[in-house]
Amino acid sequence: MKYNTVQKWIVQPVYLAALVLVFLAGCKEEPIVYNTSESVNMTSYLDKYPDQFSEWRKVLELTNTAGFLQAYGSYTLFLPTNDGVKAFLQEKGKTAVEQLDVTELKDIVKFHLLSDTISTTKFNDGKLPSLTMQGQYLITGAANVNGATRIIINRQANMVTANIKVGNGVIHVIDRVLQPSKLTLAKMIEANTAYSIFTQALKETGLYDTLNIAPASNPDAKKARLTALVETDAVFKAAGFNTYADLKARFSKTGNPRLVTDSLHMFMAYHILYEAKYLADIVSAQSHATLANPEIITAKLDDELVLINDGVFNNIYEPGFTLGRTISDNSATNGVMHVTAPYKPANLSATSGHFAIKVRVPFRVDWDVADFPEVRKLSVFRNTGTANFVKPSATAPFQIGGWDFFYRNASTTIGYVNATGGWVYNDYLNMGIGLSSRADWVKMKTPLIVRGRYNVWICYRTLQQSGNGTYPAGSRCQSQIIIDDGEPLAKTHDFCEPMPSGSTAELEALGWKYYTSPVTATNFNSWVAKKVGTVDIKTTDNHILMFKVILGSQSQSFLDMIQFIPVDAPSQIIPRFKTDGTLDNTPLVIADRKI
Amino acid sequence: MIRNTIIKATLIVTLVMASSCNKWLELKPQDGLVREDFWKTKEQLQSAVVGCYASMVSGGQVANLFIWGEIRADMITLTTNASVDETSLTNGEILSTNAFSDWGTLYSTINYCNTVIQYGPGVISNDNTLTQAQLDAYLSEAYSIRALMYFYLLRIWGEVPLQLKASSSDSKIEQLPKSTKEQVYAQILSDLDFAVKYIPFTYGSQAMDKGRMTRYGVYALQADVYLWNEKYAECITACNAIINSAKFGLIDGSSQSNWFNTLVFVGNSNESIFELQYDSQILNPFYAMFSPATTRRYLAASRVTDNMYGIDTSDPNKKDIRSDAGFVRASDFTIWKWIGTNDLTITRAQPDSYAHWMVYRLADVLLLKAEALAWTSKGAEALALVKTIRTRAGAVSASEESPDPSNAQDISDYILRERGREFAFEGKRWFDYLRNAKRNNYAHLDLITSMIADIAPPNRQQSMISKYRDVRSHYMPIFLNELNTDKQLVQNPFYQ
Repeated sequence: MKYNTVQKWIVQPVYLAALVLVFLAGCKEEPIVYNTSESVNMTSYLDKYPDQFSEWRKVLELTNTAGFLQAYGSYTLFLPTNDGVKAFLQEKGKTAVEQLDVTELKDIVKFHLLSDTISTTKFNDGKLPSLTMQGQYLITGAANVNGATRIIINRQANMVTANIKVGNGVIHVIDRVLQPSKLTLAKMIEANTAYSIFTQALKETGLYDTLNIAPASNPDAKKARLTALVETDAVFKAAGFNTYADLKARFSKTGNPRLVTDSLHMFMAYHILYEAKYLADIVSAQSHATLANPEIITAKLDDELVLINDGVFNNIYEPGFTLGRTISDNSATNGVMHVTAPYKPANLSATSGHFAIKVRVPFRVDWDVADFPEVRKLSVFRNTGTANFVKPSATAPFQIGGWDFFYRNASTTIGYVNATGGWVYNDYLNMGIGLSSRADWVKMKTPLIVRGRYNVWICYRTLQQSGNGTYPAGSRCQSQIIIDDGEPLAKTHDFCEPMPSGSTAELEALGWKYYTSPVTATNFNSWVAKKVGTVDIKTTDNHILMFKVILGSQSQSFLDMIQFIPVDAPSQIIPRFKTDGTLDNTPLVIADRKI
Repeated sequence: MIRNTIIKATLIVTLVMASSCNKWLELKPQDGLVREDFWKTKEQLQSAVVGCYASMVSGGQVANLFIWGEIRADMITLTTNASVDETSLTNGEILSTNAFSDWGTLYSTINYCNTVIQYGPGVISNDNTLTQAQLDAYLSEAYSIRALMYFYLLRIWGEVPLQLKASSSDSKIEQLPKSTKEQVYAQILSDLDFAVKYIPFTYGSQAMDKGRMTRYGVYALQADVYLWNEKYAECITACNAIINSAKFGLIDGSSQSNWFNTLVFVGNSNESIFELQYDSQILNPFYAMFSPATTRRYLAASRVTDNMYGIDTSDPNKKDIRSDAGFVRASDFTIWKWIGTNDLTITRAQPDSYAHWMVYRLADVLLLKAEALAWTSKGAEALALVKTIRTRAGAVSASEESPDPSNAQDISDYILRERGREFAFEGKRWFDYLRNAKRNNYAHLDLITSMIADIAPPNRQQSMISKYRDVRSHYMPIFLNELNTDKQLVQNPFYQ
């Protein structure tokens, strides 16, 4: 059949071709994986989405950074979208990125880059943990607009897409270009006419120059970045200073504010903190050093308010002032600027926001170690009973806030004991310290101690668990006393050591005394105080006192009180303490006693 | 002839081969049951129902219930042993990679329930001894547990896929889109409507009545669900069904140690309505979570012992039985409810860690009712119920409030604080905050933001407040793995 032949004529080559095709296809190479990871690096990621990032890609090309963002490493890139770059161009009055100044552009690109991988879980209210490559910190936050919350970067851009993982780091897509600050702290303060008194004071004291150095060219690394707490003219006026002249008249004692010893200089230096500290950093620590060394400011968070120098001093509440949330956290090239604001405590009149160094006279601190917030809420507190405080694990914080404790195991404890035989308020701490089976050391947070020179008295109960009365034979529990990780105090302290005999004056000369009223017999089991040394307290602050055991261990080491008594106090001995906590101001006369 | 022999030989060989092939070709497992052989007797049906309960006490379910209910609220703090994911939850840094955004344990229980609901009705045709009433009772248990699980899903994620069919094999797995909150809520109610008709009042023993869902358990769940959706009249009706039954009572609190022992340490008390049962064979996950002898991850927050229960300054011996030595050990912030014993110096050892997890108890029902009463202009009745709870607990005057009986908001806030004291660490705190904050179109969002201001780390406080001001952040993200496997799922908007 003709049709059949024609068909064959056509069809056969088709079959053949199909066959060849099948063979050819069968010969196709298996794909070999050359890469260890499918994820792209930063530059390739930009190339993948030109509709979103082509503008920034051009910027990278212009600034010669495309290459290194393609290399392996660990970076964080804040990546502006095309719309963001366009808005930036508009602001600059340009129509294309090519028209921008390349040096300035380089700075901006570096400001978007960190050599660390930082995901949003590390964001907080303040600066990111690492500097940008440009040298300034980026700050983060979150803002709620009409019910929807977005992460904001440097108060300039909103987060669009966070935490995109690429081969060489993390990308956060943002909707605007971030721009680094161009002003130094000094210039930033000067630029605001509402800070004219503060500015003039900075200039007169010479601190203006301290605040006017770019971090890279600052010879003093400690002062490369600083934080200024600025008082506005309004604050000064509310505090009674209408002009700089008023301020100078009040503070400058030498007439030359440039002298570091001049009170006006110190006043201004007290307004400057070391390091770039945003509000989030300020509320994260209790105290901050100022340039007016050794004066510090204290900080705390009360509900949402940042309170500075607000606290109880020697049993009197001293209201502080706030750093306004909306007007603070201003980034300068070399630090941060905050602005002080009044604070109105409940039932008290408002403060002005003006603050100065307070002249504190050293005063005696009778520190009842068995009185801290954690024990106050227990029913045993000043009410017969025992409570043990432990450290749940080696890395866990000690149960008493601000204290620390060597963790040998979960059963190493410090016990609060309230029992007959206790002294001040009938209670004391049973220090679970000692070598080999107990805690090697314990660190205790002191109450506020004013800068000054003090004798340190350890008030304890002489007690030897074995070999009672045979000291230095028998039980020992001997520690060095160390304050703020400094040198150990002159003498060691031993819970087993008895007081020698002698008259009141002889004992005091030897560094011993009775702190109780009435006195307990000078044998074992008596409450006595030993002077372990004299210490220079350098800042008015809470300090850390450490018992560091060097010999022995016993399960019953009773500590009642630690006294810091100024060396020039009228008496190292009176007042003494009764068991109910009241004071006895009568002089103690002991002619001589034998054990 | 030869041919004949060959045929015969072939026949014999074939016979031998064919018979020996029998086992070899068998596809059924020889050491287990397949579905076709199951679902034949009522005993098998019962064991399948028991499986629903078993799935709740295993696989990290209860640990999750604790975390979902407490970690974003104000009653616990994390130790340094807590995982990064746990810390992220308390810091308001929740990503879809966070392990606690995985709803797997809840859906696994739901699947057990779905299996019973799907295959249970077929048993009646095989087993004549199974009555319709018995079958309905078993099905009711499955329906009510499924409702409980969806209620958790509703409160934690908001919009979730409604999986109502058993996925007995891989081929049966469906890719489902999310249902709206209203659809999930409607499904919970319809499950409970079935259960409330057929589920027994009692199974004949105290342990069974507290360990399995009963009619009262269903009422309690109904009350909770209705209150969540602001259906106050329905909530009160459900509560009354329990209260008026006179089958439950508050455990006497005049002796703290007896009360602790009966209600918490032994469990299945007269106050209890439904609790997940543990014993020496099936231990709870609490030892590793709360025991001071381990690298525990959770402590009671200091505000619990400092402020919540208060101290009677006039008489130091008078204290709220729910405070120190009740639900918490104040000296070291141990979560005493789940790990404590009758001796304050001794915590449960690992082999003794079988405190039951409380789901509903009478105190809960009384306070749910009080809240519903407060919002239906019956403030005085509501305050009377709160007083009942407080009197039993010996609450001190420091924690007492006297809101205006006509002010629903003030009473409701007082109830919220009392619920914190009463249900400390029972995995209810966050849901209580959320329910109260979202009432009347989030009229009281500040309840959550002020709580967050209090618990946030100082350097994150402002960001966290801003985040929680976005009400979409109150629901968890869908776990990344779920998004990857079910392409129909869409991430919750806050996390997109």
